[in-house]
Amino acid sequence: MKTSGKVLAAQVERIRDSKRFEIRSENLPTWCPGCGYFGIHQGLNNAIQRLGLPHHQIVIVSGIGCAGRYPFFSHTYGLHTVHGRALPVSTGVKLANPELTVFAVGGDGDGLGIGGGHLPHISRRNVDVNYLLFDNSIYGLTKGQPSPSSPVGFKTKASPQGSVDAPLNATLLALSYGASFVARLFAGDPDGITDALVQGIRHKGFSFFHLYTSCVTFDKAFKTWEHLKEWVHPLPENHDSSNLKQAIHEAMDDPFSLGIVYKRME
Amino acid sequence: MAEEHFVVVGNGPAGHQAAVTLKEKAPDAYVSVISRSRGSCYRPHLLPDFMAGKIPETALYVCPTDAYKDKGVKLRTGQKVVGLNLRERSVALDHKEIVRFTGLIIAAGGKPRIPEPLWIFRDLMLTLKTLEDAKAWREKLSRVDSVLIMGGDLTSFAVTRSLLDLNKKVFFMLDREAFWPLRCDRVMLEEAAHRLSQRGVEVIVDRRVKSMARVSDLACEVQLNGDRVRAGLIGAFFGLVPDIRFLVGSGLRIDRGILVDEYLNAGYEGVFATGDCAQIYHPEIRDYWVSIGHDNAVSLGRTAALNLLGGSVMVEAAQESIFEVQGIRVNTSWWMDY
Amino acid sequence: MMAQVDLTVEICGMSGDGTIAAGGILNEAMSRAGLFVLAFDSYPAEIRGFGRCVTHSRVGDREMRALSDRTHVLISLDDKESQSRIPFLAREAVVFFDSKPPSYVEEGASIAAHVEPDARLFGMPFSELAAAASGSTRGRNLTALGGFAAVFGIPSRTFHEVIEKKFKAKGEKVLDANLKSFDAGHRFALERLKVEQIPPIPPLVKGGREDLPLVKGGREDLPLEKAGMGEPVYPPLEKGGREDFLEEAEEKILISGNEAVVRGALDAGLALYFGYPITPATPIMESLAKALPDRGGRVVQMEDEIASIGAVLGSFFAGKRAMTATSGPGFALMTELITHGVMSETPAVIINAQRGGPATGLPSKTEQSDLHAAVFGGPGDSARIVIAPTDVRECYDFTLMSFQLAERYQTPVIVLTDFFLNNRVEKVEIPGASEARRANWNLYPEESAKGRYERYSITESGISPRAIPGAEGFLFSATGLEHTEKGRPDYSSDIHSKMTEKRHRKIRGALKDLPEPVEWSSGGTMDVGVIAWGSTFGSALEAVLSGQKEGMQVGALKITSLFPYHAEAIRAFMKRCKEILIPELNYEGQLANLIGHLHAKDVVRLNRTTGMPMSPTLIYERIKSLI
Repeated sequence: MKTSGKVLAAQVERIRDSKRFEIRSENLPTWCPGCGYFGIHQGLNNAIQRLGLPHHQIVIVSGIGCAGRYPFFSHTYGLHTVHGRALPVSTGVKLANPELTVFAVGGDGDGLGIGGGHLPHISRRNVDVNYLLFDNSIYGLTKGQPSPSSPVGFKTKASPQGSVDAPLNATLLALSYGASFVARLFAGDPDGITDALVQGIRHKGFSFFHLYTSCVTFDKAFKTWEHLKEWVHPLPENHDSSNLKQAIHEAMDDPFSLGIVYKRME
Repeated sequence: MAEEHFVVVGNGPAGHQAAVTLKEKAPDAYVSVISRSRGSCYRPHLLPDFMAGKIPETALYVCPTDAYKDKGVKLRTGQKVVGLNLRERSVALDHKEIVRFTGLIIAAGGKPRIPEPLWIFRDLMLTLKTLEDAKAWREKLSRVDSVLIMGGDLTSFAVTRSLLDLNKKVFFMLDREAFWPLRCDRVMLEEAAHRLSQRGVEVIVDRRVKSMARVSDLACEVQLNGDRVRAGLIGAFFGLVPDIRFLVGSGLRIDRGILVDEYLNAGYEGVFATGDCAQIYHPEIRDYWVSIGHDNAVSLGRTAALNLLGGSVMVEAAQESIFEVQGIRVNTSWWMDY
Repeated sequence: MMAQVDLTVEICGMSGDGTIAAGGILNEAMSRAGLFVLAFDSYPAEIRGFGRCVTHSRVGDREMRALSDRTHVLISLDDKESQSRIPFLAREAVVFFDSKPPSYVEEGASIAAHVEPDARLFGMPFSELAAAASGSTRGRNLTALGGFAAVFGIPSRTFHEVIEKKFKAKGEKVLDANLKSFDAGHRFALERLKVEQIPPIPPLVKGGREDLPLVKGGREDLPLEKAGMGEPVYPPLEKGGREDFLEEAEEKILISGNEAVVRGALDAGLALYFGYPITPATPIMESLAKALPDRGGRVVQMEDEIASIGAVLGSFFAGKRAMTATSGPGFALMTELITHGVMSETPAVIINAQRGGPATGLPSKTEQSDLHAAVFGGPGDSARIVIAPTDVRECYDFTLMSFQLAERYQTPVIVLTDFFLNNRVEKVEIPGASEARRANWNLYPEESAKGRYERYSITESGISPRAIPGAEGFLFSATGLEHTEKGRPDYSSDIHSKMTEKRHRKIRGALKDLPEPVEWSSGGTMDVGVIAWGSTFGSALEAVLSGQKEGMQVGALKITSLFPYHAEAIRAFMKRCKEILIPELNYEGQLANLIGHLHAKDVVRLNRTTGMPMSPTLIYERIKSLI
């Protein structure tokens, strides 16, 4: 149809003018179609744009996993390190040049398993790094093993009888480690991600973003898009994000309430 | 049964031989020698030769210090015994260490005797008892030309011989104190004087010392009654007295030396004395005599050791070579060799 | 002519006796008196610090390169502990001990019962003298030093200066008590020397003994065991040696290897230190924690060694010089990230202070067994730069140098020290670093590359210009995956071969900036050539110099660049030697494994894993056996 061609061209023009996609590098993401990471990517890109952060002042540090590839897909400086070590590396980057805006990204295996020992300390130190934990409760890159946040009974090739270990609650962990900004978000809601990110980036201190997402290729039973859409809901109206105890209770009692769970008042 | 510990006090010829014999005859026993001076056992009678540069220091030693270990004898040098406790059967060292013994042989030797009237001048006189003394003599002799020998004990003759070999001018003051502990009679005195003069020694007899003074760095002057002698060095050779002050109050019977029987036992089981520090009872003359001289010392050391281990070897004394001096008999057989 | 001075003094006591403090004062005083000092203490290993302390100081009128096998003077503050030192005493060692214990002791409790017959005992009533002079026995360690100073002729004024410096902060009373304790010992010893028949010892320094005139005709020097401690021969300034580093020298100072590392890092403009406590590297972190804030930097104690190296890489990535220091176990944890630095071509500086291994090993003993780990540790063909200082001065130089090397060659640089080197104290000259030695060696991209920058572009040297975050127009992602010149992950055979070759070529190019091997010989052919690294080199050199003095055709080669190594130079040296001897403190011979192939036949290995520095005598005997 002729009109759709013109509409399309106009849309492209508008998109180009908005400079929204300048942040995207020429490397096409290697994530599976339908992967939740696309949503997170959109959310973060919009936050960067909204804040007007110069791209050359941004460093994205990643670990190993599907999330580890993230830096390649952004038109920023990137540092794709080894499994589980994005947090200490990003600490070094930020302390070396505090002018930079530093993001650390990684999955639940990278961050709660091998990297689990680093979360307490970057939290205690309150380094001004923004950490996005992509929680799909599975090891996707290695083709589907249970992760530290997988539920009991989770069946995979590595756990044919069902996983026996109790899952970790990343939000609860961050809160108990003393992180000064904790948000819990959903990859299916990029705008919500953008809003939280804008606040967290502005926050002068360690900002932790717990992002629920789905691995469409290897998790057909637990964190599917259907389940997640069903489970997530906003934090209660009266949630006081400046109250740590309340935040901890919220994290314990309701794993799927979304928003800024905690933000330390200066 | 606990290991036996035999302790020998003194590392001179007597003490050394005693230790060696003890270890030889009782190989399983622990044998220690405690010596106030450093170094291995050396032959004191060779000191005059060393002094004259005729033999090197190494020739003085009976054996190297390593040999003690090889023989199984523990040698402690530079450590002084300051007390003896007969009841506890222990000796105390001057750094407050107590050494307990099963058997003890005291071979503390003698120290140079200075007659009372000359005590005030003792800083001006050199004696020759230890290796350190000999070294001091050597050093001084390199700078002086003349020496005054006073006294005339058994060492002084060997020293005189050395001095003559070094072409030094020797003055020799012989008097009644000469040949101590031997009381010499006129005949012996003249005999000695004659022999000395023959060799070019200027002999002074029948004189008494009025005073002594240092006149320069390299010269001393001695005022005698009616005479004056100037020499680079003054040597005091009035014999040795047993060096046993540390035993006073210990319970051992002491006269000039430690009184021992003809087996060298000091009156307590397992406690013996030997060598220059002992006064030995002679049953035939029914009196005590002092043995002097290297060969005697060695022999006595061996005897003491054998007897400590249960033997009953009597000390020999050749009858005819015993002289009587102030109630003390002297075995001077070796002196005749001069 | 002044007698050659080469004296080893040990102070041995129980913790609480002030042994280490006395050792420090002794070292400082000897240094002030103009002597060279090489000192190395041993402490009790356990946390409560209860146990034997031994200070070991070798002093001389010229540079010392190794500890000697024999101790010439033992100051015993606790006779029971000091007995352990007797097997190491020289034949006529002088032993100072307390001659008036509070009560009589049984045989064997005094050290006098245990010394060999030729030892020279010098008893002094330490406690009694200290108590009489100062009212307490606490200063008895200084009383002993007073005696030592008198007997060996170090002016007491020199000791006073050091004591004042050390105790000033503790107040007049404490200072006074200590000075009095020292003086009491000094006086006693001088008196004793007059009357006792102690063989005269010439004072170690001119005018050192105040009351007694220099003894004429006394023994020229302390008789040394024939252990190959001959008069060292010093070659003319070596090529690639200190020549480059001759600048305005400051006054010589007495510092430890750790302190030298710290100075090197500070002079290099270190901004950030990330570390984790581990023996023997912890003092580096602690010193920097004090010094860095004043220079606008900081120390962050990380949660583990992995975090430490991670942060160092992050810091260099963002353009700031950072460093971490660790030991074997921590280094092992770092290897993955080190290879990441190699693959992503990110600089890092890592000090590995080797200790006994493997695993937790022997935390307070010295060893040289991390060479393989340093050069090869971690997955893949991960060639990186490894350098190893041989003395305290080089600890400074190499630490300083490592930052420039890391920047230019965009790779982790590992500086291998060892426990002995880290903890020993030497009197050295540390000149300030010139502009040149502090300069930034990063290669930045040209402006013309803006917009089309390729981070990993293949160049002739293998070095690709490196943009620093914050620079506009040069965006890139560093990665540990194999990658194209643009930096995009790529696993194709062509790319992997090309990039692997590029990285290795780059590292090999570092040879021109790395310290070359240095030879000590007459230059011709030799019967035995000794090649050594780290602190063992000092021992090897002493052995070789002794051999040379006796007319042996032997030479020594110092290797400080362990990777890449100067194969040509090493091979050229080996060609001129009939036998090559490589002594090292590890079981197999890790340096031998690395360079042995350069020699026409098997090299001779001399390996020890005793936890102690290698003795020059051991090397000397081996050299002899090969001739």
